[in-house]
Amino acid sequence: MDEAQLIKGIQQGDRKSFQILVETYQRMVVNTCLGIVHNKADAEDLAQDVFLEIFRTAENFRGDSKISTWLYRIATNRSLNFVRNNKRKRFFQSIEDTFTGGRNRNSEISENRGDQPDRNITDQQRSDLLHRAIDRLPEKQRAAFTLNKYEELSYQQIAEIMEISLASVESLIHRAKKNLQEQLLDCYKKKCV
Amino acid sequence: MKTKCIHKDLIFYLDNELSFDKRTAVEKHLEECADCRSFLAFLQEGMQIIEKEKNTEISPFFYTRLSARLNENPEHQAQSQWARLSQPAFFLLLLFIGIYSGLKLGRNASTTKENNQATSVQMLNDFAAEPIESFLLDEL
Ligand SMILES: [Zn+2]
Repeated sequence: MDEAQLIKGIQQGDRKSFQILVETYQRMVVNTCLGIVHNKADAEDLAQDVFLEIFRTAENFRGDSKISTWLYRIATNRSLNFVRNNKRKRFFQSIEDTFTGGRNRNSEISENRGDQPDRNITDQQRSDLLHRAIDRLPEKQRAAFTLNKYEELSYQQIAEIMEISLASVESLIHRAKKNLQEQLLDCYKKKCV
Repeated sequence: MKTKCIHKDLIFYLDNELSFDKRTAVEKHLEECADCRSFLAFLQEGMQIIEKEKNTEISPFFYTRLSARLNENPEHQAQSQWARLSQPAFFLLLLFIGIYSGLKLGRNASTTKENNQATSVQMLNDFAAEPIESFLLDEL
């Protein structure tokens, strides 16, 4: 079944076509979400939302781009939204904690770290550090970097997904790497992990 | 002589994005600088996390769960959508009630003000006997 047939089937509400689409692209969509939200359960939930959106809005798909472009676009937008809302939630949570004397969530992390031998950086610490650095990138840099690194997409594909020029993609990824390196260097110098 | 540290080039060195000349210079510096070598290793290990995360296994029940969500009647979806829309609508209604009652109160207030003005006019009338010029001059 080619893409056009698949889409036609989904537009007609055919579950079998939908299942084929999901099974073909689930890994790709979950991976994209994971690169932005860094949590497998959240990434799978978001990926499900992406496919539900596809099923419900299939009639809007005009077929002038590939299905994967469409999926990547929705996955990236939904993941960025998720992180944005989470940040807002955490902000209000922190306000609530200051007033209710809620227990400091950060202490959990440092407690875990206490178990580790000195200066022997674990993968968990490394991934925490990298995730924190990625989270601090401006949204567009984060999206372009994630699509490039986690999905190994070409700059041209990223330009289509993000609906920006090739030069903009190059510049976003260059700045993203520069930013990440600065953050990691800062951490390296301060021995933050 | 030791060359200047090249920390800022290392991420691009890792991704093989440096020009030939720059790459050669970086490699030469790395040979003589332990700190840059150590940072390169740190950076490399950090970026390798991405490679590990890429191979995350997906839950085998992904489609089953999705299918179940799809079966959750569209009514429920419609309901939650209604709930999502009704909240702003409710606040909008509250806003309008607020503005309306505000205007109404404002009008009431201005009518009482008119009454007040009427009484003050009467009070002023008590001074009518006084010549207007001296009244004005007193003010100055
Ligand atoms: Zn150096």
